[in-house]
Amino acid sequence: MALHRLSFRLRQTVAHVRSLHTSGCGKQQGAVSVKADPELFSVFRTQDSDPADQTERNIGQYYTIPSAHVHKLFPNGLPWRYEQQVKTFNEACVMVRQPTLEVISYLKKADYSKPALRYIFYGLKGTGKTLSLCHTVHYCYTQGWMVLHIPDAFKWVKNCRELLPSSYNTSRFDQPLQATEWLRDFRITNEQFLSKIKTKQRYVWTKREFTEEGSPLGQLVDRGISRVKSSTDVVGAVMKELRLQSGQPESSFRLAVAVDGVNALWGRSTINKEDKSAVDPDELTLIHNLRKLMKNDWTGGAIITTLSQTGSLYSSKSAYLPQELLGERGFDNMDPFIPVSVSNYSEKEFESCYLYYLDRHWLQHPQSQRQEGKKEILFLSDRNPAMLERVCAFL
Amino acid sequence: MAATFSGLLKPWIPRVILVRWSRYNPYYLEPEVRKEAYTRSEAKLTKEEREQQKLKTLRPIKAATGGVTSSVFNDPDLSKFINMIMKNGNKILARDILNQTLENIKRKQVEKYHKAPEGKKEEIECNPYTIFHQALENCKPVVGLASIQKGGKFYQVPIPLTENRRRFLAMKWMITECRENKDRRTLMYEKLSQELLAASIKEGNVIKKKLELHKMAESNRAYAHYRWW
Repeated sequence: MALHRLSFRLRQTVAHVRSLHTSGCGKQQGAVSVKADPELFSVFRTQDSDPADQTERNIGQYYTIPSAHVHKLFPNGLPWRYEQQVKTFNEACVMVRQPTLEVISYLKKADYSKPALRYIFYGLKGTGKTLSLCHTVHYCYTQGWMVLHIPDAFKWVKNCRELLPSSYNTSRFDQPLQATEWLRDFRITNEQFLSKIKTKQRYVWTKREFTEEGSPLGQLVDRGISRVKSSTDVVGAVMKELRLQSGQPESSFRLAVAVDGVNALWGRSTINKEDKSAVDPDELTLIHNLRKLMKNDWTGGAIITTLSQTGSLYSSKSAYLPQELLGERGFDNMDPFIPVSVSNYSEKEFESCYLYYLDRHWLQHPQSQRQEGKKEILFLSDRNPAMLERVCAFL
Repeated sequence: MAATFSGLLKPWIPRVILVRWSRYNPYYLEPEVRKEAYTRSEAKLTKEEREQQKLKTLRPIKAATGGVTSSVFNDPDLSKFINMIMKNGNKILARDILNQTLENIKRKQVEKYHKAPEGKKEEIECNPYTIFHQALENCKPVVGLASIQKGGKFYQVPIPLTENRRRFLAMKWMITECRENKDRRTLMYEKLSQELLAASIKEGNVIKKKLELHKMAESNRAYAHYRWW
């Protein structure tokens, strides 16, 4: 019964949308709604699962990321609440939105013999910066790029279990656990590249152990995972190799560096040394190497980042602009970059999100399927995507 | 005599006056939070209602308490349950727990729904509100017990329960069950959602407790005549 009512509702909206396009002729309504039947779900869903094909027409529509891609590309890379949603709905759908399309169009047209361009997604809390980043990363992945995805840079400056002085440079600190975790995800994502890329340098780990020049990158990564102690240096070595090799004429890959919460690199950390004084992010090997990657002295790729206020420490809650969050030093380091603003849902996007939730049986409260309930949801969430998700969670 | 007296005083004094703790003097009117009350047109009101409207323009009105709302999602049973979970007046926490519980129930059921094969989808109840009400309905006891002293001995005497008392007992059992038999590491909302889901299909410890009470009342039915009220 409920399903029947739902399809009835949907048909109405379809007819409504269609009538807008066909200059709203009242007589044609019946005919149009009959014709629209086979594409009932096309109002809020697009059939293109390839982000490269998405155009302005698809704005506000949901596209499905194939589940094979989700497992390979984002082993731990999706925000927690979204992961829950994927599990509940049994499919990973992302809305196509303006900022992502903008970045993808830039990525399509960019000249990769020039230094890598830096894109920064910024916007208020909960507007979908992280998911925009994930969408863009999915585009890069489908284009066959090498993806170096750091799901949350703030994890590297907070709550460190084991902090060891670095063997390479004793003034720095290693975070072996975080490094292994990241290497594991990196190996899952970029499996096909690891055997193709050869190292260009000889790495000496201890007196007896070393990695020869010309050995595949996979060997280096495996070493980092099996020998936890040297994993941080392995991360540095991997980043260095990729930086040196991308854009070179003999290399056959493009590199996409995606960092969520890039302002962590120039903020403060909560990790303490043994004498209880705070560690500066400069002194962390992982952050040090990541900063080198952020410098655009390499070619043949793109740097896509987001700013985040939620993770950042010691920044005011209302701050969201790049100069506020990055700080002076960070801004100077990132300059020049392409800022991409991510804003709240537009009316059309809200409508599509609402329809999607109805389709997935996510709105269960009988009032929430009526007009008054919808108005109240709109009022409570103010079209903020994260708030909308929160409000709809218990309805 | 008394009736005429109170009739004289009627415009001044409401029937029950909270003397000790009322912040308002008797002139204050109760607040109206229902939206429908404000959307009705002037012509449709009855005479008394129109008089009430007139009173409102002149007399001050009490501030609405924190619990009342004009939301369409409002549910008196749920708000009662929230108030019973609440400790130390921390309603925000209590409401969060219940909202998370509802979300958790819905997540489980919707996931089941999407995984089920085509024919079996209709059988799965996804609405967490229905499940909640069903669970409470299943937990409500039919008879209660009261301890009555008779000849120097206390007897457990079966008594009828009011609807309010039955609801109270169902909620209280549910909450105490979840608080006390909870693993240290599970969160309150997880336990609550498990118990509610179990109770909605007549399983779980709360239902057992209800049946135990019924059994006790059945075995003590011989004392039923000790009830004097």
